[in-house]
Amino acid sequence: MIEFKNVSFHYGGEQGTGEGVDNISLQIPSGQVLVLCGPSGCGKTTLTRLINGLAPHFYPGEMEGEVWVDDVCVSTAPLSETSRLVGSVFQNPKSQFFNVDTTGELVFGCENFGMEREEIRRRLDRTVEDMKLSALLGRNIFELSGGEKQQIACGSVYTARPEVFVLDEPSSNLDKKAITRLHETLRRIKEAGKTIVVSEHRLYYLMDLADRFVYLDDGIVTKSFTAQELGKLSDEELSALGLRCTDLHRLMKSPLIGEIPHGGKPVLETVDLGCNRGNHQILDVDRLSFPAHSIIAMIGDNGCGKSTLTESLCGVIPCSGSVAFDGTYLTEKERARRSFLVMQDVNRQLFSDSVMEEVMLGASASPEEAKQVLEGLGLGDVTDRHPASLSGGQKQRVAIASAICAGKEIIFYDEPTSGLDRGGMERFASLLRQMQDKVTSVIITHDPELILQCCTHILHVENGRILGFYPLNEEGAARMRWYFLSESEESTSRKREKLGMFGKILQYAGQWKKYTYLAVAFMIIGALCSAVPYFGVYTLIDRILAEGTISLRAALPAIASVLVFSVLYAVTYTVGLQFSHRAAYHTLENLRISLQEKLEKQPLGNVQDLGTGAVKKLFTDDIESIELMLAHVIPEGIANLTVPSAVLLLLVAVDWQMALLTVILLCFGFSASGQMVAVGMDRMGSYFAAAKRLNNTIIEYVAGMEVVRVFGREGESGRHFEESADGYRDFALAWYKVCWPWMALYGSLFSNVVLYSLPFGALMVVSGHMPLGRYVLALCLSFAIGPMFMRTLALIGAIPQVNFKIQALEKALDRAPLKCGTAEFEGADHSVRFKEVRFAYKSDEVLRGVSFVAEEGKMTALVGESGSGKSTIARLLSHYYDVSAGEICIGGQNLRAMTPDALNREVAYVSQELFLFNKSILENIRVGNPQASDEEVREAARKAQCEEFILGLPQGYDTPAGLAGSKLSGGQRQRIAFARVLLKDAPIIVLDEATAFIDPENEQKMNEAIAGIIRNKTVLVIAHKLSSIASADKIIVLRKGKVAAEGSHEELLETSPDYRRLWAASMESSGWLLKGGESA
Amino acid sequence: MDTILYGDDSKALVRFDPRTKLFIFLSCGLTSMYTYSGIYILLFTGAICAVLALSGKPWTALKAFLLFSVALYVKEAVDRGGSPAPAVVLIVSVVTTLILYALPTILSILLIVQTTRISQFLSALSAMHLPVRVVIPIAVLFRFIPTVQDEWNGIRKAMAFRGISLSFGSVLRHPWRSIEYVLVPLLFSTVGVMEELAAAALARGMDIDVKRSSYEEMKLRAADYIAMAVFAVLAAVIILRVSTKGAAGL
Repeated sequence: MIEFKNVSFHYGGEQGTGEGVDNISLQIPSGQVLVLCGPSGCGKTTLTRLINGLAPHFYPGEMEGEVWVDDVCVSTAPLSETSRLVGSVFQNPKSQFFNVDTTGELVFGCENFGMEREEIRRRLDRTVEDMKLSALLGRNIFELSGGEKQQIACGSVYTARPEVFVLDEPSSNLDKKAITRLHETLRRIKEAGKTIVVSEHRLYYLMDLADRFVYLDDGIVTKSFTAQELGKLSDEELSALGLRCTDLHRLMKSPLIGEIPHGGKPVLETVDLGCNRGNHQILDVDRLSFPAHSIIAMIGDNGCGKSTLTESLCGVIPCSGSVAFDGTYLTEKERARRSFLVMQDVNRQLFSDSVMEEVMLGASASPEEAKQVLEGLGLGDVTDRHPASLSGGQKQRVAIASAICAGKEIIFYDEPTSGLDRGGMERFASLLRQMQDKVTSVIITHDPELILQCCTHILHVENGRILGFYPLNEEGAARMRWYFLSESEESTSRKREKLGMFGKILQYAGQWKKYTYLAVAFMIIGALCSAVPYFGVYTLIDRILAEGTISLRAALPAIASVLVFSVLYAVTYTVGLQFSHRAAYHTLENLRISLQEKLEKQPLGNVQDLGTGAVKKLFTDDIESIELMLAHVIPEGIANLTVPSAVLLLLVAVDWQMALLTVILLCFGFSASGQMVAVGMDRMGSYFAAAKRLNNTIIEYVAGMEVVRVFGREGESGRHFEESADGYRDFALAWYKVCWPWMALYGSLFSNVVLYSLPFGALMVVSGHMPLGRYVLALCLSFAIGPMFMRTLALIGAIPQVNFKIQALEKALDRAPLKCGTAEFEGADHSVRFKEVRFAYKSDEVLRGVSFVAEEGKMTALVGESGSGKSTIARLLSHYYDVSAGEICIGGQNLRAMTPDALNREVAYVSQELFLFNKSILENIRVGNPQASDEEVREAARKAQCEEFILGLPQGYDTPAGLAGSKLSGGQRQRIAFARVLLKDAPIIVLDEATAFIDPENEQKMNEAIAGIIRNKTVLVIAHKLSSIASADKIIVLRKGKVAAEGSHEELLETSPDYRRLWAASMESSGWLLKGGESA
Repeated sequence: MDTILYGDDSKALVRFDPRTKLFIFLSCGLTSMYTYSGIYILLFTGAICAVLALSGKPWTALKAFLLFSVALYVKEAVDRGGSPAPAVVLIVSVVTTLILYALPTILSILLIVQTTRISQFLSALSAMHLPVRVVIPIAVLFRFIPTVQDEWNGIRKAMAFRGISLSFGSVLRHPWRSIEYVLVPLLFSTVGVMEELAAAALARGMDIDVKRSSYEEMKLRAADYIAMAVFAVLAAVIILRVSTKGAAGL
C-alpha cells in the first residue's frame, strides 16, 4: 500500500525538468498496477521520485505532506531503508549502472541487502530465465545497446524483488520485442502480488495490465481512468489530453504525410557497405539508395546495427564500401561534413556558450539566416541562453538548427522521440515535414506513432543487413504496423565472440591443431639450422683472421657443420611443411563441412540471395585462402620471427650498437608493413565486394548465354559484364595504389639491413672500438636473419586478405537459419491451415495475411494472377522459407515445431521445374524414397505413366539422366516427377503448375498419373488452367497476396468477380488451344 | 569499443582474491626502487606475469615478460659493452631502466583492473573491514573512467559533424578553444550521468547499513596464500640483498 498524504513538492535549485507537484492525495493498494500518464513536465517523474525517496533525500526541495509505503514514511526514512521496499528503474539506460559487467549489475541490489549467496544465485537464475537474459550475462555493459541496457536495469530490480516497483518510462529505448518481454515481466511481478507504479508515455502495452491510469496535468492529479475507460477514448480525446495511442491496431497513417517521393536522383547511395568491429563484420549492405526529400524511418530490433549503419553512412566510423551523396562518391570526412546526426544524448553535441554561438559554429549561413532558422524552430527567445540551461527538447532543436545552418543535406536522428509525450512527438513530426523540402531525414526509431505521422519510407534492418526498404503507402503501413504488433518476445541479443583471427581458424582445426603446433616446432628447428652455417663461416674467417691461414683439417669441423645443418634445415623444414599442410587440408575439410551444414539450414531465399558465384567463391577461393594461413603464415611466420629475434639478441651480446642499428631499421620496416596492412584493410572491403560482383556476373553471364543469344541482348549483358570487370579493376588498382609505396619501403629496408650496418661496423673497426672478428660475426648474423625476415614479409601481406575473407565467410552464414523444431509429426490429421500468414521477400511483401484451410483428403486449388503469391504458399508449406508472421499448421501442429525430416515425410512438393541428378533414370526416381526396391521404383514409374517412354530410351531405366535429359519432353519430365512423388507416398501433395506442360498427346496420361497421386491425399493445386481444377473441392482466389474469395467453382462464379475474370481468361486461351489442336 | 577496465576473468585458471592482487601491487611499489638487482627482479616480474597468466591473460603476461627480460638483457649488454658514444648509451639506458622500473607496477595495476570486476572488488574491500566511505569512492572511480571514455567517443563523433578538428595543428593554433570544445560537452554529459548514477545507486541500497554480501565468493584460498608468500619472500630478498650490497658498495 502506497499512500500520498496531501503531498506537495517543489525542487530547490535547478533540479529536474518539471516544476514539481501539488496537493497529491493518492492511495495505491498492494498488488495494483498504476500508470502515471500525462504530458511531459506534468510531474510524473517527481511522483516516482517521491515514492522511491529520491525526492526529497537526493533531490532537495520544499516538501509538504508525507508519502507512506506500507508502514514506512519514505519522506523521512533514510534512503537505505526505502531501497529495501522500493525498486526503481530509471529513464536513462546509460546512467543507472554501477557495475561495468552485467552479471554484477543484476545482483547488485541483492548484494547491498546482504543476501545469502545461494539465495542470490537462485534469484539470478530465475531472472535470467524469466526475462531471457542469458545472452546478456557476463558482458561489458558499455558494449550493449540502449535497449539491452534497459533490460538489464529491469532485470536488476526484478532480482531484488522489492514490494513496490517504480518504473520511470522503462520502455523509452526498447524495441517491440523487448517491450513484449517487459510486459511479460510486469505481468509476472503483478502475479506475485507486488505493487507497480509506472510513469509512461507509451500506453498501449500497459492496457491489459494496469488497474488504474492516473492523469497528471501541471503537477495536479486531474483525472483517473480504468483501462477500459481509457481504451474507449477516441483519438481526438486522447490528443486533447496529450496522451499517446492506447491500441496500435487503431493507428492510422496521418493524412499530413505528403506524396511519397520516388524516382529522381537519390540523395544518398551506397554499395557494398561493410563495417567490422573487432574481428567481426557487423554490417553487410549490398545496395541502398535514399530518394531525395524523403523522411525515412529506420526500424529493427535492439542491437541489429541501426546505429552502426547510420554512423557508417555519416562517415564517423571506419567502414568499407562506397557511399555517394547526390551522385558523388565521398570520403568519410566529406560525408561527416555534409551529414548530421542528432544523437540521443544531445548534451554531447553542444559545444558553445550560447545558442546563437552554437548555431553559428561552423555554419555557412549568415547570422540573420541563423536567427530565422531559430525562430522557425521556436527558439527565437532563447538565442542568448546557455544551451545547457535548456530543456531536452530545446537542446534537440538547437542541434537541428545547427545542422540546418551548416547546410547539411541529410540529417539522421537517433531515437528522437524516446520519452516524448504526444504533443512533443507531433511537434517533432511536423518539424520534419516542414524541413522535407530542404533536407532528407533518417530517423532511427521504435515509435510507430511517429512513423505514421511523418515518414515516407521504411528501412528495416536486421542483423546488420537490410531486410526491406519500402515506401510507406497503405501496404507499407500495414507491413510496418504488423512488425510492431507481432508478438514475439525472443531476444535477438547475441553473445559476441571475442576470438581473434588465429583463434577462429584454430577452432576449426579441432584435433588437427596438434599438427600445426608440430609444424611450428619443426620450422623453428629448421630456421635455427639455417642460421648455424653462418656461425661455421664465422669460425673459419675468425681463424683465418687470427692466424692468417688455415689447414683443411682445422677447417673440416666448420665445413662439415655447415653442410650438416644445411641438410638438417632442408629436412626439418620439409617435415614442418608436411605437418602444416596436413593440418591445413583437414581443417579446410572441417570448414567446408560445417559451411555446408550451415548452408543447408538456411532458408532458400538466403542461399539464392548469396548468388551462385558467391557461394562457389566461399566454398573454394575463400576457404582455400585459409590454407595459406594454416600451412604457411602460422608455422613459417612464427619460426621466421622467433629465430631472428633470438639471433638479434645474440647480436646484442656481440655488439649492442650494431644490434641497435639493425633493430631501428627493422622497426622502420615493420611500421611500414603495419601501415600497409592498415590502409589495405580499409580498401579491402570494396576490393572484395567488387570481386564478388564480378564472380556473380560471370556466372550469370554464362547461365544466361542462351537467352542473350536468342534475343540478341549481347549489348546490355555485355555492358553489365564490362561494368563489373571495370569495377574490379578500379578497386584492385586503388588497393594496390595505396599499398605499393609501403611495400617498396619495407622491401628495401628489410633486404638491405646489411647495407646500413656494414659501413657503420667498418667505422667502428677502423676507430678501434670493435675487434675485426666481432665485426665479421655481426655481419654473418645479419646475413643469417635477412632471408628469414624477407620470408615473413611475404606472409604479412597476406594476413589482411585472409582476415577479411574469414570475416566475410562468417558474415555470409550468420543469417538466421530456418526455425526448425525437434518434434516428430504429431498432428491430429493431415489438414493444412494457414493462419494470417505474412511473408516478405526483401522489400516486396508477397503474402499479406493469408488464412485458409485445406482439408484432409480433399483437393484445394489456389488460383490467381501471376505474382499473387500462389507459388510462395506452396514453398512456405514445404518450409523453404520461414514465414514473417502468422503460422502454418498441419493437423494443428506448427510446421516450425517439426524436424525437417518429419515435415518432409508429410509433404511432397511437385514444382514446375524438375531437376535431374546426374544418375540413371531409375536412381532419379528413387530420390523420392531412397529405401525403395527396384521393383517399387518401376511400379511407381508405371503408375505415373512413365514406363512406356523410359523403356524407349537407349538403356531403359539405366539411361543416365544427362543422356536422356535432352530427349525428354516437358510432359515426360513432369511424369518422372510424379513417379518420385508416388514413390514417396506423402499424405500431403502440393502440385505447383503441374499441368503446365500438358499437351493433347500427354493429357490423358497426365490426368491418370495425377489421379493416382492424389487419391486419398490432402492436395493443394496451383494452376493457371482453371479447367483442370474446376472440380476441386475448394478453390481459393488470391489477389495481391490476400485471399479474395473461396468456395467451389459454382459458388465462385456467382460471387467472385476476380474468379469470373480468371475463368473467362482461361476459357479463352484454352479455346484457342483447342482450335489449334483441331486444325492440326 | 573495448573498455580496458572491464574485468574479465572468464578464462582464468586460478581466481585470485582481489586482496592478493592488492598485496602484489603494494609489493611492486616497494621493490620498484631496486631494479638493478638483476636476477631477482626478473624472478619477481616473472611471478607477476605468472599470476597474470593464471588470471586469464596469458598473452599479455608472456609479452610483458619477454619485454622485461629483453630490456634487462640489453641493459646488461650495454653496461658491459660500453660505447664510444655516451649519448647513445644514455638514451638506451634511460629507455631500458624506464621499462624495468615501470613495467612491474603497470602489470600489477593491469592485474587489478583487467581481471577484477567491481563487485568482486567491493566485496573484497568490505571483507577487509574498510569503511563504506573508503570503498565507494574507489568503486566510483572504477565506474567513472569507462563513462568518460564512452562520452568521449560520442563527443568525438559529434565533433566530426561540426567540423571541429582535434588534430595536432589545430590544437596548437587554438589551444583554449580546443579545450573548451572538449570540456564543455564532456563535463555537462558526465556530470549528468554521474548524478543520475548516484541516484540509481542510492535507490538500490548502496549506502545501506548492513554488511554487503557477494554473489561471487571472495575468500582467500591456498593459491592466494602461496602467491602472497612468494611475493613477500621475493620482495624481502630483493630489498635486503640490495640494501646490504648497497651498504657494502658504499
